[in-house]
Amino acid sequence: MIHTSRACERLRHSPLFAALVCAALAHALCAPPAGAVVLRDDLNRSVTVPTDPRRIITLLPSLTETVCALGACDRLVAVGRFDDWPPSVKRLPKVGDLDEVNIERIVALKPDLVLLSTSQRVGKRLQQLGVTSFAIETDRYEDIARTVRIVGELLGVPKRAAALNERIRKAVNAVAVAARAARRGAPPTVYFEVDPAPYAAGPDSYIGGLLAKLGVRNIVAAKLGAFPLLNPEYVVRRNPDVIFVSRAQAPQLAERPGWAQMKAVREHHICAFSERVRETIVRPGPRVAEGLRAMAACLARVAP
Amino acid sequence: MPELVTSPSENPVALACRELVVGYGAHNVLDGVSLEIQTGCWTAIVGPNGSGKSTLLRALAGLQAIRGGTVWLQGRRLGAWPRRERARRLGWLAQSATATDLTAAEVVALGRFAHGGWLAHRDVDDDAAIERAMRATGSLRWAARRVSTLSGGERQRVHLARVLAVEAAVLLLDEPTTHLDPPHQEDVARLLRLQAHGCGVAVLSAIHDLSLALTADRLVVLGEHGLVGHGSVREALREDWLSLAFRTRVDVVEHDGVHLWRPAVAALPP
Amino acid sequence: MRPPGAARARIAWWLTICVAITVALTLGGLLVGTTSMHTSLRWILAPGAQSSIVLWDIRLPRTVGAWFVGALLGLAGAIAQGVFRNPLAEPYLLGTASGAALGVTVALYASGASVGALAWAAQLGLAGAAVVGACVAIVITVALARGVLQTSNLLLSGIVVGFLLSAVTSLLLLTKPQMWRTMQVFLLGSTGYLSWSSTSILAAVFLVCIVPAVLLSRGLDALTLGEDTARSLGLSLPVLRLAMLGIVCLATAAAVGEVGIVGFVGLVAPHLVRETLTVNHRHLLIASPLCGGALLQAADLVSRWIIHPAELPVGAVTACIGGAYLALLLWRRTRDA
Repeated sequence: MIHTSRACERLRHSPLFAALVCAALAHALCAPPAGAVVLRDDLNRSVTVPTDPRRIITLLPSLTETVCALGACDRLVAVGRFDDWPPSVKRLPKVGDLDEVNIERIVALKPDLVLLSTSQRVGKRLQQLGVTSFAIETDRYEDIARTVRIVGELLGVPKRAAALNERIRKAVNAVAVAARAARRGAPPTVYFEVDPAPYAAGPDSYIGGLLAKLGVRNIVAAKLGAFPLLNPEYVVRRNPDVIFVSRAQAPQLAERPGWAQMKAVREHHICAFSERVRETIVRPGPRVAEGLRAMAACLARVAP
Repeated sequence: MPELVTSPSENPVALACRELVVGYGAHNVLDGVSLEIQTGCWTAIVGPNGSGKSTLLRALAGLQAIRGGTVWLQGRRLGAWPRRERARRLGWLAQSATATDLTAAEVVALGRFAHGGWLAHRDVDDDAAIERAMRATGSLRWAARRVSTLSGGERQRVHLARVLAVEAAVLLLDEPTTHLDPPHQEDVARLLRLQAHGCGVAVLSAIHDLSLALTADRLVVLGEHGLVGHGSVREALREDWLSLAFRTRVDVVEHDGVHLWRPAVAALPP
Repeated sequence: MRPPGAARARIAWWLTICVAITVALTLGGLLVGTTSMHTSLRWILAPGAQSSIVLWDIRLPRTVGAWFVGALLGLAGAIAQGVFRNPLAEPYLLGTASGAALGVTVALYASGASVGALAWAAQLGLAGAAVVGACVAIVITVALARGVLQTSNLLLSGIVVGFLLSAVTSLLLLTKPQMWRTMQVFLLGSTGYLSWSSTSILAAVFLVCIVPAVLLSRGLDALTLGEDTARSLGLSLPVLRLAMLGIVCLATAAAVGEVGIVGFVGLVAPHLVRETLTVNHRHLLIASPLCGGALLQAADLVSRWIIHPAELPVGAVTACIGGAYLALLLWRRTRDA
């Protein structure tokens, strides 16, 4: 899934881990109970989090993967509806998705921490019900490392988080270096279609970040925004070397007016991934290198 | 009286009903009404509010489902007529003159629909009939104006012209004189009599104004419990049907051979 | 007793201006896109391989197709307002919009469900699914109203069917939120992919719709005098309504199938005509499509020009234009009153 949260830029720039706001700044009344710290989440809320949460619910696939990659999979008591990785989470109760969350179920499970995205509005309601929830923004490539760090902090395993980040960084670098090295000519131009409307992935989006890592040129200008609705004519005019598109749409590209004459369509320089692979590509989580590898492999095949 | 009228009751019957039952819900407005409407004769329906004048007209026009009895148009059951043939023989005027954005001429032209149907182009006969009807009702002046911009009375005359343009053998008119000032009411009365006596049309109209109704050839008098009487004006006055229908004394005086309704309030001391 | 000369001259003028605007908008449709107008002009004068594709295979069918969609909606709106004798009636009244949306959702749903279904859905296409959905909705609406005799029942039943089908659509979307973005595009309308083949389908449907509609237009005139009067004139109301609603259904389904749900055009076009002309239904049924076509062409131009090379959903643009126009109309009416 692609998250198009419209969380304000302002929030992003707030000092994130000016986190140990706790005792010194807070009034005596607000002082956290023993075994808890006050942290500021990406919705700019002061959240009192237990130092060692044991019953965690994650409402977003990438957050579930992050928690598990930090070795805390056994602390999860429930996950979101589309959370399918690692396979062990599939048998956990599903308590909702981006828009609809089963609040009753969450409360009944008595979690000591709920991790969710800034675009999920359920956080406020959970707060009223006395359930601790912590919102994390996961929109860009850079957010992966940040999320790992935050979750590591929350779980009390900062060292493991640092190690994981290092692993991710190295794996991504390896893919990126290999992709650039294998390329003979100039970097290809690429159009990544998020939806046939056509919504494209712009340079500022998470996928745009991945494309940048691979050293290819996005035909969409950054000023158009993260996921602009394009005039289809724009794609035809830019005539990208490679088109990334969903598998269902791939055979229909030639039927769009004027598209059949595009080089990428004519010569089938099209990367259409299965739903499973596509999920690893669009999910800003610890498996980023895996998705990136799939993209690099396709690029090497269609645009050597 | 024009000499054309011999004795209306002997004229051929244009429209008739037998044992007519019409109602809404659990209530029968008309229960077993039998009438004969003659060619060349103007018949007025009178009666108090709610006595079923409009219902009777709608049922005779085939616009209202009937629960019992039969309606005959020119000797043939009403329902057996093909739709357009029936519409050519039977003109109907609704009680309220609808405001439409069409021009007066276009509204009147719709009266010719039954003559041509969907695809027919308007021919010389149609044009002549439309102009005759508009001239007769004095609505020719507004031919190009939207009906919605006309006054109530003007509108009423346009709709009357539309009914006349059908050139039907039977005219069923629900309150054709509403919205009209007295001189124009009289014009309409004259027009209806002319249609009946001059053109041999069977005219049946609900008329609110009692004095105006008394200038008709025949009366159909409806009371709260159905038909009170049906006959010539003289007969109606002799039997005092009006008082029976309105359940109060209806005083009719004769002045120079003209019957006039005198409201009881006129007899009270000032 | 023909319409007097002045009125006919006015209609002739109106038609001339409308056609001139359409021609101008079509030329505009060639000029406006992801390039500057200057570049577009140069392309028209000296076309290259790619520029001729952009001009003649993308921009022209898009602007011509938008005209036909607008024309179909304008026609459907004018007919719906006549049949229901209600100036607020619009083409989507009988549940067609919700039906088409449900059709698309089901097709999307099925295409994600299995390989066999995918082939089936691709064959039918989302456009076909929309048409099927719209027609099913109309059939349910008419059945629920027990025929076409009672317009108030039809309106009510259209609303009920609209709500029910929307609810089913929402339920389906809830189980598969990935489809939501595609649905959103459909619900806001999109003229981006109008091709020559879709334009020719739209043109054929338009012909099939406008010819009988104009031939039957006198029936709608008669209907303005009231149902009883229309019947007394020898008009068969069920025949008239069935024929007219059939045309509305066909026109709306074709339009929705090609570009999704574009609101307000069908509502506003007949009003614009009535505001500027004294018309009977024959004129209205000819003028409303011209007006609707020009409206959607204009909206399409705005949608691709205002933030180019990105674009706005065309339905959002028509909603803005239409909403503003209706607000103006209302303001004038309440001020006069």
